[in-house]
Amino acid sequence: MAQRQHRPGAHDLELAALCVAGDRLAFGELVRRHGSAVRALMRRMGADATMADDLAQDAFLAAFEQIAEFRGEGPFRAWVSRIAARIYVRRWRRERRSALSIEEAATGDIETGGGGLAADARLDLDEAMKSLSETERLCVSLCYGAGFSHAEAAAALNAPLGTVKSHVKRGLDKLKSRLGGEAAQDRSSIRG
Amino acid sequence: MAETLFELRVERLFAEAPSLADAEAFAGRTLERISRGWLARRAVIGSMGVLGGLIGGFEVVSTGALGQFSGLVAQAPGWLAHAASLSPAVLPLDLRAVAAAVVLALVGVAYGLARPMRGF
Repeated sequence: MAQRQHRPGAHDLELAALCVAGDRLAFGELVRRHGSAVRALMRRMGADATMADDLAQDAFLAAFEQIAEFRGEGPFRAWVSRIAARIYVRRWRRERRSALSIEEAATGDIETGGGGLAADARLDLDEAMKSLSETERLCVSLCYGAGFSHAEAAAALNAPLGTVKSHVKRGLDKLKSRLGGEAAQDRSSIRG
Repeated sequence: MAETLFELRVERLFAEAPSLADAEAFAGRTLERISRGWLARRAVIGSMGVLGGLIGGFEVVSTGALGQFSGLVAQAPGWLAHAASLSPAVLPLDLRAVAAAVVLALVGVAYGLARPMRGF
C-alpha cells in the first residue's frame, strides 16, 4: 500500500514529539524512513524475510508504545534497532527453549558460507554475514548493528562475557576475510 | 589500529542498510497494525466502562440507595435553609475550597487510572 509522505522535512525528534501528541502519521513517516534498516538488521541477525518483517513490525509497535521515552540522545534508528534486537534475542532464546546455552548453540552451528572465495572478493555485508555461524552472526549483529556493548550482548543472550567476546572476534575475523581483508579495509578507511 | 578500523567499517556497513523496495508498503502495514491495536484497545476500554457502569447501576438499585437518596433530597431544602442561617465564621471551610478539593480528587483519580491504561 502506498503511503503519502507526512512532514518529509521534519527531523526524527520532531516526528517523535508529534507521535507523543498522538500523530500516528508522524510515526508512519518514521517507519518509512527507518523500516528498511530495522528489517535489514533482523535479516542480518538470522531471520528470514517474513520473520524479519514480523519482528521489525513488533519493534516499531513497541517503539510507538514507548515513544515518550525517546529523548533524542541518539538517533531514532539506533533506538528502534536496539528494541528490535532485544525482540529478536527474546524470540531466539524462546525457540531454543532458553535452556540451551550459547556455548551449546555454538557447537551445533552449521557453517553456511563457502570456503573457496578469494580474500580480495568484495562481497557485501549481507553475503559476508552468511559465512558466520548462527551465534557469531547474532553476537556481531548485536554489537555492531544494534549498538550493544559486549556486556549488554552477554546479558541479553544470558551467556558469559568471554563467550560473547570470542564469538564476536571469530565473526569479525570471518567478515574480514570475506569483505576483502586489509586492502579493502584500507581503501575504505581512506575514503571514509 | 587495524582491528579498530575494521570494526568501524563493519559498523558503517551495518548503518548503511539499503532501502528495501517495499519500504512504503511495510510502513503502511505497520501503521495499519498500530491503528488496529488502538481500535481494539478503545473497544476493550469502552466495553469495560459499559460493564462497570452496568454493575454500578445494578448495585445502586439493589441496595436501595436510590430511595435513601430521594429521602436526602427531600430533606435538602431544610438543610440549606439551616446552612444559610449560619454565620460564615461558624463554617471552617467555604464552598470554593470544597469544590477545589473535589476537582483535585477527580484529577488524581483520572491520573491514577490513566497510568495503568497507558501500558494496557
